[in-house]
Formats: sequence, structure tokens, C-alpha cells
Amino acid sequence: MFYWIYDIPIWQLAVLISGGFVLVYWIGAIFLSPILRRLVRSTAGSNDVVGYILSSFGVFYGLLLGLIAIAAHQNYTDVEEAVAKEAIALSALYQDSKAFPEPFGQNLRWLLRDYTRYVIKYAWPLQQKGVVPQGGRVRVVAFHEKLLSFEPQTSRESIIQAETLRQFNHFFECRRMRLHSITTCIPPIMWYVVGVGALINLVIVWMFDMRLITQFALGGLLSLFLGTMMFLIAAMDNPLRGEVSVTPEAFEDVHRIMMDEAY
Amino acid sequence: MKSFQSGSQTRRDWLKQGGKAAALAALPGCSTRLVPVGQNTVKVGLLHSQTGTMAISETSLRDAGLLAIEEINAAGGVLGYPIEPVVEDGRSRFSDEFPRQARKLLSDEKVAAVFGCWTSSSRKAVLPLFEQLNGLLFYPVQYEGNESSKNIIYTGATPNQQILPALDWFTSAAGGSHKRFYLVGADYVYPRTANFIVKKHLESHGVSVVGEQYAALGQQDFKDIVNAIKKSDADIILSTINGDSNLGFYSVLAAQGITADRIPVLATSVGEDELRSLLPSQVQGHYSAWTYFQSLDNPQNKRFVDLWKREFGRDRVTDDPIEAAYTQVYLWKLAAEKAGSFEVDKVRKALGSLAPFDAPSGKVKIDPKTQHMYKHFRLGKVREDRQFEIVHESPDWIAPFPYPQVAFPGWKCDWTSDGLTQGEPVAI
Repeated sequence: MFYWIYDIPIWQLAVLISGGFVLVYWIGAIFLSPILRRLVRSTAGSNDVVGYILSSFGVFYGLLLGLIAIAAHQNYTDVEEAVAKEAIALSALYQDSKAFPEPFGQNLRWLLRDYTRYVIKYAWPLQQKGVVPQGGRVRVVAFHEKLLSFEPQTSRESIIQAETLRQFNHFFECRRMRLHSITTCIPPIMWYVVGVGALINLVIVWMFDMRLITQFALGGLLSLFLGTMMFLIAAMDNPLRGEVSVTPEAFEDVHRIMMDEAY
Repeated sequence: MKSFQSGSQTRRDWLKQGGKAAALAALPGCSTRLVPVGQNTVKVGLLHSQTGTMAISETSLRDAGLLAIEEINAAGGVLGYPIEPVVEDGRSRFSDEFPRQARKLLSDEKVAAVFGCWTSSSRKAVLPLFEQLNGLLFYPVQYEGNESSKNIIYTGATPNQQILPALDWFTSAAGGSHKRFYLVGADYVYPRTANFIVKKHLESHGVSVVGEQYAALGQQDFKDIVNAIKKSDADIILSTINGDSNLGFYSVLAAQGITADRIPVLATSVGEDELRSLLPSQVQGHYSAWTYFQSLDNPQNKRFVDLWKREFGRDRVTDDPIEAAYTQVYLWKLAAEKAGSFEVDKVRKALGSLAPFDAPSGKVKIDPKTQHMYKHFRLGKVREDRQFEIVHESPDWIAPFPYPQVAFPGWKCDWTSDGLTQGEPVAI
């Protein structure tokens, strides 16, 4: 729904979310704060009551935000690991293909190189748009077909083929994990809770009986922090999208080695 | 009054720039859109077999198309739009998968053009769809002729640009005055029709065909065929075998002791890309007839080969269909730019009036009458490094004739006037 946020530069996103929070708070401080204050003004020491509620609420909300930020970071790390595992499995497969007699082995290596190039040049930009790339599948099928077409002439070749097939299956699992992670994100219901919590925070602060300039300064700082936390979670969510996303560096390293060894 | 300034710019400058930006932003809404609404790219289809028996040959054509698209996009796209390639796999299933994917590209993806196919079976299977849906197919492989469609641009060679000049050379003194040809081919449209033309041509030159055999696409066992060749007393083999069957054919030939010194093979579908899967000892000294070889010495080709190797690896090779698959994307780009549109009819019209294009194979141009390409003929002999030594080439480009009169008397096509003129019925 809010995927467009990944299409803008990271600094603009930071300004948009953090600044947006501050702006909303300031507007509320001017227009809503006088109304809300009336709700609590009848009570003596209303600021103490509001302060007590804010601190109680802040504990729960802070915990929620912290957990979600950790979850977003964990998602990011998991995807990073999945990408690294796929690149390592690809590299191992490339090494295995060198054990085949030539020119069969060379054909296998061409197919793997083609796959790696595709992942870097075509799949990654699509992933960054949240699209599951389809072109890798056909390249994987082509490699599998080629591998199965090999007819071993010796027991050594049989072992090599069996081992390469085992390695291929491992690679295939890693690839599926990466593709699965393209749509990995914090569930919308959690975003809803976080959003409602942030709004309640602002509403409570609007209830403080303070001078407008103090509202602007203190409330502004609090909303800036809330906005920054939101920005952090949003930027780290969807680990394959936006500027703060997992890069194809692991594949680029493997591709560089493949190209260096291509004679 | 203090003016708003940023650096050396005044508020007036900002307002001017803002006004210009607003006018530019409004422009696409006022001008004619060249691509469907909601699309910021121009889609083109790439339809090749990336799996199955033809993957050995066709995968590289997909790569060549992508390479040209990447280059064009890096230079700003076509008419201001980046090209978005939609790549589909024909899975070496010519009669069902190719038409299914072609329909998807034309109807669902609404591509401006499709670059694709290798086998004539696949081309013939998708042809009615392109005619029905008024699509534009660029076909990059040499073929048998005997076909012409308003919706297809044939950038590969016709028989008079490839097979027939090769036959003439081999029957001449320079080529060894061969007199007994054995024809081997894959069992489908191209080899059957090509061999029909070959027999008519050789017959008219008083040269005999001592045998003719066909193998299924993908077949690897060529023992019976090679035994028949040995018994036939042939002095040259003309091979129209396609795809990975060549692995079986050349390995059995070598195993049976048929070397190029004894009975040379003249192949019409074996280029550098197919040779990469064959052992040098199996193919050295045999011949291939094409219009392009990687070993061609000209600046365009050097640049193309360097680019190809830089992108795909130093051990990858270029060949005739790869070069055509690359060149045809540029021809479409130039035609779209000349037409100022991606519409099929306008692009097709513009293609016929393009100035000669400096392709890696030399100057080429589309003949507006036949929608085939003017090309050079070249004959290559396989070297030890699985590259070709060019032993003979035509002095100039050769005009395309999709209907060699020796085989199809009275047949001709002219898409600038009457279209297809049918001659005597021909049974192949």
C-alpha cells in the first residue's frame, strides 16, 4: 500500500516521516490541544495525571516499537543470510562443474554465469519493486536439464554427477528462500497498532497544559523521535526494497570470480 | 526588499525554472503517447527456446537481444522510452508452446515487436498469429525460403545467400570439384525444404545427390546414418542438422574415422556457438556456410565481440544468428525512430527505407519488397580453436530471394505492391 516510499531517496523518506510527525504534532498543538486540555482541566494537577498516563503508555508503546524494530532488523538479517547462502551454493555448484569432462563442464559453467548475471542485472531491480522475477526459473531449469543429460562413463563421473545434483538441490532451496523473502514484511495489522499507538502518544501530549512554544519544543522533540523510529522500521521493512535493502553484492563477488576464470 | 536566494539564483530564477518544469510535466498529457497509458517503457518480446533440445543454440540469441537492448537503454532508449524486454521460453516445443507464448506477448503484453524463433517449425507455428494480430516478428536465423509474410522481418540468410553459393563453391575447382553430395538433416521443415532446393540446384548443375537421410530433432544416435554415408561413396556431406543433435553427429563421424580430409561436412546450422559443445578433434577442417563469423576483421565486429565477451565471459563466442539477433534490435530501433512511432505498420514501412546499417557482419539493409536482408555470403573452415577461417566470401552483399526460381518457378513477393505472387504449385 505504501510501497511508493521505497521509490524515494532515503533522506527524503527520513524527512517525510520524521518531519510529518512533527508537523502533525504542531498543527494539533494549535488546533486540538485547547480542546483536549478542556477534557482534563477540571482535575487539579491535570499535568501530573497526564504525565502519569503518558509514562505508563510510553512503557508499553516503547516495548512494542522496540520489538518491531528488532523484528524488522531480524527480517533484514535473515534475507541477507538467505542471499549469501544462495551465492555460496552457486559458487560451490560452479566449482563442482569444473570436475566434469570438457566441453560439458564449460557448458554448465556458462549456464551458471548466465544465471548469476540475470540475478544481478534483471532480478534485483525487479525485487526492489516487489516483483518476483521469473527469468531465473528458466535458467535454473536449463542448468538442471543439462546436468541430467550427462551420461557418466566411469564411477568417478557418476559420483561427480550425484554430488553436483545434491549441491544443485541445496542451491535450489536457497534460491526459493530468497524469492520467498521478496514479499517478507511486517504484517499490516502490526503497522496499524504502531500507528494507533503513535497517535495516542500525540493526543496525550496535546493534553498537557503548557505554553504553545513549550508544546512546540517538547512535543516536537517527542514526535521527531517517534517519526524517526517509524522511519527506521519502514526503511528496514521489506528487506529487498528501497535504499536500505539487501544488495546483490554476494552475487557480484561470485560473478566476478566466474568472469575472471572464464577462458 | 530582500530577495529569496540560493547560491546565485534569485526568486525570479526559481519561479522561471518552476514554470518550465510545470510546462514539461504537462507536456506528455498534451502530446501523443507512443506507448499504452500507464506504461513508461516500450515492451518488446524475446521468444526463444531457453530449455529443451534447441536451448544450445537459442539461448545465445536471447542474450544477443538483451545485450542490444541494454546498450540502447544505456544510450537513452527509443524515442525517449526505455525498452522493456519480455522474455519467454518456447521450451523447444514448436507447435504448442511457441504459439502460446507468442499470443501472450502480442495479446497480453502488447509488445511493439517480437525478436524470436530459430527453427522454421516454430516460425511457421507463430506466423498465423502475427498475421492475425498484426504483430511484427524479427526472425534472425538463416532459413529455407519459400515463405514471405508482411508481419515477419527475416534477418537471416535465404538459400541464395547461404546454401547455394556454398554449393557453387564446392562444385567449383577452388572448392575441390565435389560431385557426390550426401544430404543429412533434422526431420522438419527447414532441412526438408532446403534439401529440396539443393537437389534442384545440383541437378541443374549436373551434380548428383548420392543419399539423403533425416534424423529426429534431438536424436543422438547417428551410427546408421554414418554407416550409410560410408557406403554411399559420397565425397561431401551437406548437413542441415540442428541443435544438440550435432553433438551426436560429429562424434559418430569422428569415431567412424570420417575426417574432413576424407569427406568434408558442409553445415548450414553449425556456428561457433554450437562448436563450443564439440571437441576440436571432431570438427576441425569441416565447413560451415554463413553470412557472419566471429573471426571477421572489421571495427564493428571487433567492438561487438569485445562487448559480448565482456558481458558474458571471454570463453563465450558470437556467431551468425547471434549477430543477426543483435543487429535486428538496432534495425527495429532505427525504424521506430524514423517512423516516430512503435506502430507495426509504420515501423515496417520505415524498415524498408532505412539507410544501410553498419552491422558486425558489414553493411546490411532490409529489402522492402521481400522484407528480407541484403547480406554477404561467407564460407568458413573450422580451425583447431573452434573458430572459422574464412575461405571464401561474396565480393558484395547479395540481394535476398526467398523463392529460388530453380525450385519455385514463378513465385515471388513484393510487399511494396502486389504482395505474394504464386507460381507453379510445388510439392516438397
